[in-house]
Amino acid sequence: MNKKLVVPIFVLAVALAPLSAQQATEELKLKLPKPMFIGTPTNIKSANLEAVTGKSRGPFMVPAGTKLLSLKRPIKSSDMQPVIGELDMINDGEKEGGDGYFIELGPGKQWVQVDLGASHPLHAILLWHYHSQARVYRDVVVQVSDDKDFLKGVQTVFNNDHDNSSGLGVGKDREYIEVAEGRLVDPKGAKGRYVRAYSSGNTTNDLNHYVEIEVYGTPAK
Amino acid sequence: MNRTGFVGVVLAALALALAFRLARADVRPMHHDEANQAVKFGELLETGDYRYDRHDHHGPTLYYLTLPAAWLRGQRTLASLDERTLRAVPAAFGAGLLLLFLPLARGFGRPAVAAAAVLAAVSPALTFYGRFFIQESLFVFFTLGFLIALGHFAERPRAWLAACAGAFAGLAYATKETAVIVLPAAAAAVALASLTTPPRRADAQGCARPERPSIGVGSIAAGIGAALLVASLFYSSFLRYPGGLLESARAFGTYLDRGVGAGPHTQPFDYYIRLLAYSSSGGLVWSEGIVLALAVAGIVAAALARESFWPRCVAFYTLITLAAFSALPYKTPWNLLPFYVGAVLMAGYGAAALVGAGRSRLGKGLVAGALLIAVVHLAVQNWRANFIYPADPRNPYVYAHTVPDFLRLAGRVTDIAALHPDRSAMLVKVVAGPYEQWPIPWYLRGMTRVGYWPSAAAAGRVDDAPVVVAAQDQAVAVAAALGERYVQESYGLRPEVLLSVFIERESWDRFMASREAR
Repeated sequence: MNKKLVVPIFVLAVALAPLSAQQATEELKLKLPKPMFIGTPTNIKSANLEAVTGKSRGPFMVPAGTKLLSLKRPIKSSDMQPVIGELDMINDGEKEGGDGYFIELGPGKQWVQVDLGASHPLHAILLWHYHSQARVYRDVVVQVSDDKDFLKGVQTVFNNDHDNSSGLGVGKDREYIEVAEGRLVDPKGAKGRYVRAYSSGNTTNDLNHYVEIEVYGTPAK
Repeated sequence: MNRTGFVGVVLAALALALAFRLARADVRPMHHDEANQAVKFGELLETGDYRYDRHDHHGPTLYYLTLPAAWLRGQRTLASLDERTLRAVPAAFGAGLLLLFLPLARGFGRPAVAAAAVLAAVSPALTFYGRFFIQESLFVFFTLGFLIALGHFAERPRAWLAACAGAFAGLAYATKETAVIVLPAAAAAVALASLTTPPRRADAQGCARPERPSIGVGSIAAGIGAALLVASLFYSSFLRYPGGLLESARAFGTYLDRGVGAGPHTQPFDYYIRLLAYSSSGGLVWSEGIVLALAVAGIVAAALARESFWPRCVAFYTLITLAAFSALPYKTPWNLLPFYVGAVLMAGYGAAALVGAGRSRLGKGLVAGALLIAVVHLAVQNWRANFIYPADPRNPYVYAHTVPDFLRLAGRVTDIAALHPDRSAMLVKVVAGPYEQWPIPWYLRGMTRVGYWPSAAAAGRVDDAPVVVAAQDQAVAVAAALGERYVQESYGLRPEVLLSVFIERESWDRFMASREAR
């Protein structure tokens, strides 16, 4: 080998030796884009939200003889003194979205409960929380029971509390945006005297609202 | 009203004003604009560097005057800041307004100033924006300071008063560009009050304009010099960027376009009056109409009185600023403050005039009792506006505000990060336009690797981040890019504006396991 080449090759080999023996590491510095400064926003109704809820529910089939059982039945709540409205507005048959048709319960987890007077097989439960604005109510859970305190024989017929933040179990149902046609829950014939609906604030504020609850079933004989 | 009683009422009002403005400063989520200002201030706090941006952010005083608050609380970084530090600054200036009323005691009369101080302390609007980390509270303080100093200068032309007025003008200009409306309005009000008030020597109450107010060149130089000096110091970042003052002048084009052009903040002429007079939404009713009614009474009383330089001066200021801001198509509710402070002062004057008009002790007592009920009515609304419904869109002072549900989003991201091996260095990608990015940077200020892209296309690969936040118009594209490996959640940002959060399933399972273990 040419002597003139030996020396540089030796120097290069010595210089690269540590690299082959031990692969040095360092933190990968990522340069992330900064947030963009911009002026005051407005409340913008996203067209995308409409696309989520725009379709009508369509017909829902129930057993013949199914009747509305909840109208003007006794009702109670975890918040017996609503901030706005009276509890009996929840099942007075009025479902308009405007002022004067809803009740407002306090912040955090709250429930309302309808006493159907007797245990009936239930075929449809409809909830209207607040439908004059696109919003999602958190941790909506609907339960049916013959126990007024919901300590035993509780059947959960709807639960979208996917992270169990309300402590009633992890729900598999999806969150939904409030619309005028309300949310229809299929209790699949679950039998019970009491229907209890939970929520825990919404995407606009921490408060809980109800325009109306309707419970349909076949009256027990 | 004797001096002791007057001082006692004003001090009690000051204490009430501070209590309303400082209590539970973190009860309301940070607004888009507040978060924006907070992050900008964080840069100044951490690096000592600030450079005026003529396209946005208004003037520099808010940032520099927030430094002492952060230092006092031992906060040296953006991550260590909190809402209490930031909002204490506008709260201090909002309550400090009451002290600015004191030099008016001679011209307005003590009962009028005491009544105005109480009304200002409990006013829902003044309190709401006094708890808001934006420029308005400081701006109103400086502009009112200018009006009072200039009015005193018109009464007694002294160089130090001119310098004082100039300094206030410089501070106002270094706070917000709308100074070009409010400062001339104040000057016009002083001029009109001088012209319409018969010149004579001050009487025992000093209510009249004295004779021969001659203005020397030295005084004018002192005023203009003080204004230029103060504005230059702030806009040049205390001489670090000498071109700052020039930049502030170049901003007029931007703000003129914004002010007169049609846009999302365009409102009708009577927007501010309607907002204050009466609003009803979602079962809640609001009104500061009593202040407006008393202000009208005060303006009428000022017009009828023969010797009333100061009431006329404040009345002209109120009417001119109201007309100017109402005429501008661009309106945001906090822009009502400059004229509303004048209205509150005139309401105090009107209240004192009504009580004084009572012919018997019983009559005076009845009027005073009715006014006390009005004050309680305002205080109850204040409580509702600032502590019960502080971010509720039914509250008329709430404007495009971040909803409380957003705090759940911030909590979710930080909870996921706390369980992630990278902790606060966990990668978070935000795919949202600029209007949907804020206030995320404020709430994730403790996290070191958060990136922001306006669209899914601009973001490129997103599945390398354990958490991705997306605006609704980007959520479909982001969901398609992430596939089934992520859990999707929705959170409110503002009323009817939602954000989607995508959490990598491994991180989600870790989070749920930690919740079950609790």
